[in-house]
Amino acid sequence: MIDNNLVKKCKEASKRMRINAIKMTHNVGNVGAHIGGALSMIEIMSVLYLGVMKYDIKNPLMEKRDRFILSKGHGVIAQYAALKEAGFLTDEDLLTFKQNETQLYAHPSMNLKMGIEFSSGSLGQGLSLGVGTALALKQKNNTSSRIFVLLGDGECDEGSVWEAAASANHYQLSNLVVIVDKNNLQYDGQTKEILSMDPLEEKWKSFGWKVLSINGHSEKDLLTALNSNSNVPIAIIANTVKGKGVSFMEDNVLWHNNRLTENQLIQAMEEQED
Amino acid sequence: MTNLEKYTKAFEETFNITAEQTKGLEYQAISEWDSVGHMSLIAALEDAFDIMMDTDDIIDFSSFEKGKEILAKYDVDVK
Amino acid sequence: MIEYKKSNIKLWSRLGSCGAFGFAANELAQTNDNVLMVTSDLCFYSGLDRFKSQYPNKLFNVGIAEQNMVGVASGLANEGFIPFATTYATFASARCADQVRVNMGYMNLNVKLVGLTAGLSVGILGPTHISIEDIAIIRSIPNIVILSPADCTETVKATIAASKIDAPVYLRLSGPMNNPIVYTDDYNFEIGKAITLIEGKDISIIATGTMVYNSLKAAEILKEKYSICASVINMHTIKPLDKNAVDMACESNLIVTVEEHSKIGGLGSAVSEYLSEKTNKPPQLILGLSDEYKHAGSYDYLIQQYGLTPEKIADNILKKYKNIER
Repeated sequence: MIDNNLVKKCKEASKRMRINAIKMTHNVGNVGAHIGGALSMIEIMSVLYLGVMKYDIKNPLMEKRDRFILSKGHGVIAQYAALKEAGFLTDEDLLTFKQNETQLYAHPSMNLKMGIEFSSGSLGQGLSLGVGTALALKQKNNTSSRIFVLLGDGECDEGSVWEAAASANHYQLSNLVVIVDKNNLQYDGQTKEILSMDPLEEKWKSFGWKVLSINGHSEKDLLTALNSNSNVPIAIIANTVKGKGVSFMEDNVLWHNNRLTENQLIQAMEEQED
Repeated sequence: MTNLEKYTKAFEETFNITAEQTKGLEYQAISEWDSVGHMSLIAALEDAFDIMMDTDDIIDFSSFEKGKEILAKYDVDVK
Repeated sequence: MIEYKKSNIKLWSRLGSCGAFGFAANELAQTNDNVLMVTSDLCFYSGLDRFKSQYPNKLFNVGIAEQNMVGVASGLANEGFIPFATTYATFASARCADQVRVNMGYMNLNVKLVGLTAGLSVGILGPTHISIEDIAIIRSIPNIVILSPADCTETVKATIAASKIDAPVYLRLSGPMNNPIVYTDDYNFEIGKAITLIEGKDISIIATGTMVYNSLKAAEILKEKYSICASVINMHTIKPLDKNAVDMACESNLIVTVEEHSKIGGLGSAVSEYLSEKTNKPPQLILGLSDEYKHAGSYDYLIQQYGLTPEKIADNILKKYKNIER
């Protein structure tokens, strides 16, 4: 049964996180940021951090914590926004994003005290780390912690993703969950035009995973899917919209990485009201 | 020490077994006689009899009994 | 406890560097609960058959998927384990370069990457399987310690030493079966500290891996035929380089580096980079593999072809030595 209060809490967090992601993008000025793929994963992040994962900001190395690995590292603004909601980061921290000497790189940089399990940015590597982590927890008889790995759908072009997917099934890693942020766009255009990986659900299924295909912007769907159990690893295909929540960014490849003008900022922020 | 005693002793020490257990012993019949154990045995025998064995003979060395035949090629009489 | 007795030293040499590594792996499993093995379908080739039968739960064979292997090992390392990940040296370095760079370099994860058959020992399999570039690739990545043992006894020592430091390590295993023996007795092995095997005032030969043995033989030739005294230094740790040892070598008239690796980017380059910072230094001669892929061939054949036999090494040193002004 899904707790409606929890859904509400996540929804409110998603809203604040989207605003923070837009602000962070604007704050970096001309260099811009990977805003499109961050906005598609906002709800995934808010539900993981506020509704699903176990962690303790006072004891970030807690053995029984759940592990989150952001394999699509360029979407990190959404994770920073979630770490702010979780209490790992402050508003001031968020404003250091992409500034010299910041801890908030444009791609996540390993810092467990800040809640970041691994560095990433070079695509296709996070799931292997997830498999290694899942094996390690089994080896340590830690049966309560789970490992969540967030991949992009474009990232699934990388062959190493499938090496890891095969090994997760081989070792029957029931403590491992993959979420694919399927926003159907990659840097150069639509995924189906650049390298079609459809039917993506069938691919994960044929690799031995339990597959759930959901609306990746629905907190309720995400809560249900992320709390489901299985004897085999779970792949959640989260169907999303790149640039979600800002009309001129939605499903627009130009917003993979871009800068926000003052006028665009005003419009984007207006759209967050109501 | 006779050659047979030396030969048996190499098995005993390499595999940590008794002289009784060496009789009829074959490669991989006990966990100690695995590929690493095999090379240990060869090294021990080469030491004991001051010989250098050919690769083919090392591969053919498949049992306690077979080994006696192989050593004969190196003028080591283990009867 | 591993005993460094004659019969074991002979056994390790017989087994070759992979077998010696496997032997050490078993010892580690007995003494350190956190040590794990990860391989990409090269369990037996890595000398791990006994390990597999004795510690089946401590070995992960991820199949022919080297990139995944490095990632899996890194995940294990981040949770406090000490994983040794094994594959051919060329796949460990070139094929997985980015995984090695991000996980072991950037994240500094405590993975011990084992490069099997580095150099020319599988020369008959052709250029896809030999590895003449691995030191160059890995040396350019920050944080990774590079160990290149001189013989199979040193392979055992280096494996154990690698498990004891909290740092990513690349362990370069080279040489054929019946690996020539440099160390006939126990000795002290310390990461980062080169070992002077013989002293000689005229020339300093700094060698690594299999070329330590050949350099010792070359030094004998120089002494017996030409009365030239060459010291031979075993640079078993290529990174961090033992700069003191290079400083000492500067007191001779010529520094020679010898390696079973490309002349580009290996030990010779490491020494040369350090020498470039110094003002008073002798000339350096870099001996190693020329910048080309030769015909497939046996180990001995290729060592001949590349001019790394003791005789050829001595000849080349002599030629250079005669031409330097003193």
